[in-house]
Amino acid sequence: MPTLCVQCSKDRAVIVRPKNHQKLCKKCFITTFETEIHFTITSNNLFQRGERVAIGASGGKDSTVLASVLKTLNARYDYGVELLLLSVDEGIRGYRDDSLETVKRNAVQYEMPLTIVGYDELYGWTMDQVVEQVGKKGNCTYCGVFRRQALDRGAATLGVEHVVTGHNADDMAETVLMNLLRGDIARLSRTTSIITSTPSATAVANPNVLANIKRSKPLKYAYEKEIVLYAHHMSLDYFSTECIYSPEAFRGSARALIKNLERIRPSTILDIVRSGEDMARLCPGYEDNCRAGCNTAAQGEEEEAGCGSSVGRSAGGEMQKLEAILAQQHISEDGNSNGHSIEVEVKKVVTRVSKVKPSKKAPVQQTVGQCEKCGYMSSQRVCKACVLLEGLNKARPKTGIHIADGYI
Amino acid sequence: MTTNGLSRPCKRCNAHEAALVVRNEPLCRSCFTIYINTKIIKRMEAFRTRNSAEGHRRKLLLPISFGVSSTCLLDVLSRHIKQQQDRNGRPGYSLILLHVTGASLSTSAGEEDKNIEKLKEAYPQHPYFELDLSSVYDSGRSLDQGSQEEAAFKLQRLLDSASSATSRSDIVSVLLTRAIVKFAIAHECEGILWGDSTTKLAEKILAESAKGRGFSLPWQVTDGETPYGINFYFPVREVLKKELLDFAKMTDSRLVDLISDEAFTPAQAPVSSKNTTIDLLMKQYFESVEESYPSIVSNVVRTSTKLQPSVVGLRRCKLCTHPVTKEQLGIESWEGTQDSEKDPSGDKLELCYGCSRTIPESAIPLLPR
Repeated sequence: MPTLCVQCSKDRAVIVRPKNHQKLCKKCFITTFETEIHFTITSNNLFQRGERVAIGASGGKDSTVLASVLKTLNARYDYGVELLLLSVDEGIRGYRDDSLETVKRNAVQYEMPLTIVGYDELYGWTMDQVVEQVGKKGNCTYCGVFRRQALDRGAATLGVEHVVTGHNADDMAETVLMNLLRGDIARLSRTTSIITSTPSATAVANPNVLANIKRSKPLKYAYEKEIVLYAHHMSLDYFSTECIYSPEAFRGSARALIKNLERIRPSTILDIVRSGEDMARLCPGYEDNCRAGCNTAAQGEEEEAGCGSSVGRSAGGEMQKLEAILAQQHISEDGNSNGHSIEVEVKKVVTRVSKVKPSKKAPVQQTVGQCEKCGYMSSQRVCKACVLLEGLNKARPKTGIHIADGYI
Repeated sequence: MTTNGLSRPCKRCNAHEAALVVRNEPLCRSCFTIYINTKIIKRMEAFRTRNSAEGHRRKLLLPISFGVSSTCLLDVLSRHIKQQQDRNGRPGYSLILLHVTGASLSTSAGEEDKNIEKLKEAYPQHPYFELDLSSVYDSGRSLDQGSQEEAAFKLQRLLDSASSATSRSDIVSVLLTRAIVKFAIAHECEGILWGDSTTKLAEKILAESAKGRGFSLPWQVTDGETPYGINFYFPVREVLKKELLDFAKMTDSRLVDLISDEAFTPAQAPVSSKNTTIDLLMKQYFESVEESYPSIVSNVVRTSTKLQPSVVGLRRCKLCTHPVTKEQLGIESWEGTQDSEKDPSGDKLELCYGCSRTIPESAIPLLPR
């Protein structure tokens, strides 16, 4: 006798839920999946009636499912929001050009207007060019920093104040572990927030640039495997090839770990997200941050949580780099090293790094101001994107295309 | 042992040939021994002779698992106490040794007995005690045969209530801590000296996060006061496991003899993935990270010790006994569970989120008080 769905007890169970091993029929799975996301949306008051919401769409499974589910829920529960698609063209040939075709089809299928913003026009660099310049290691940092700004700027152009992204529970868990592994307590305190915002630091002179843009993650508690199942059973049109550039090593390492953990105890993914939420409250300065009016919304800054990519292909560059820095610190802390060579090396390494990561110390004292160059929010004088761009532009031949300051 | 860097002079003394490379420094045997000793003794600053009043012995409990860390800690501290005695005429503290039997899921009883005999022989100067894990059920008075059997039976039923190997190993480690704490308090110890190495602490940090117990990390990995009512100290926190293994092999053959063989073989995954646990997975993970990225392991530990308990709850989880707020109890009241039908008030709940994953509510009556 076939196993019946535990929910309706009528139809044959065809799906074992990855999250809790419940056996469900197709119909009940679809409804449960949607209802859970509705629950996340309502219990966090994500949407306001009349709001225009841009869906950060990559053409991949997460954002395609997000678009489909939001369209369904908006109609079913009458959220009264207007949904738009916003895509970022990173300029990765053989990956993004194809996936953008998917987004264009989605726009037609879901009857949502689509806007595409390109790294090329915003920064004067495509990711292919960046990789050519910096190599395959560490390019994800560029992409992540650029993407965050690109989405904000795209939203500003559309006059939209809310961008939703397809980050799922696996992504969240991965980021929690990653931040633990690389010892980034400042980021640990905000990565699990369902809402992050880009506060307008001053009354913005240029209305085209960055009002208060809210970011939220309605799929925060949804398992990647269930998202794939949903896409499959709903026959959604999505692009399944992963980015051709390898993930940052810590993320790759964390991702492999999550997959193994999920095999041992399926609830682990949620359990890590839960731990992440709890640990955020234990980070020094958390209370102060909240009193300053962040509410449940953390101030998300600069680096974007990961993009989909495969496991374990990474070359470990990031890990090696951090290892080298920490090892040197360890030696100098010990105070036992003799010989000048090490002292010199310490300085060299530290200064090189401090350019990229100037806010290692006292993460809680960060106040968000504006980048002197482009006006984007930044806790530093110059925002991370501009720092990265400066590095890139320095190496570019003078005769090349030059993007004037203030344009981006 | 790291082999490259051999036939190089020791970076510290420049006199002897380096025997191994420690965090990029080639070191000779003797400088390496000093290095490990210094790292551990440095953490015992509070227990210098001058910090203890004459005529008052500060008692510290040292739980021995026969793993490499606790055994090395015992060896280093025994010498430290002797040194204090020789130098100042009296030591700054004294040790009480405790081994809990029935807590290792892999060591055979025969090997355990042998280790215990060797330990008593090698370190006769410290009082040694032994407990069975089921003693966590003791009400404080001496036990008759009947109640001992009853305790063992309850413990077995509790373990049987767990649905996975991960949960069973979790129950054992939580109860182990509780049994040790209970013993330390009953014997009026000032604190507990845990043997956890950097590597072990990093494993614990990630494993506890993966089990949904992130909220209680500050109490599990930081030196000082704990909600258990006794201070915790982790004097080996700045030494990696692989360094301890080298140290044990280089110091004294007696030391290697004491350590259970298991410690010297890399963590192996059980044949069936059904028997793999989160603890074991993290052990394997950090054993490999430690090889190439030792400083990252240290950094994980250093970062997590910056976490501070914020709002300390008034209620206690019935299994791990950590203080919890109402919101930290149970699984259903959390929005991530996405179960809107359950009663979210949490009034009747008695287990924290992480412990709710480990045992079913029906097993609560089987828990020690």
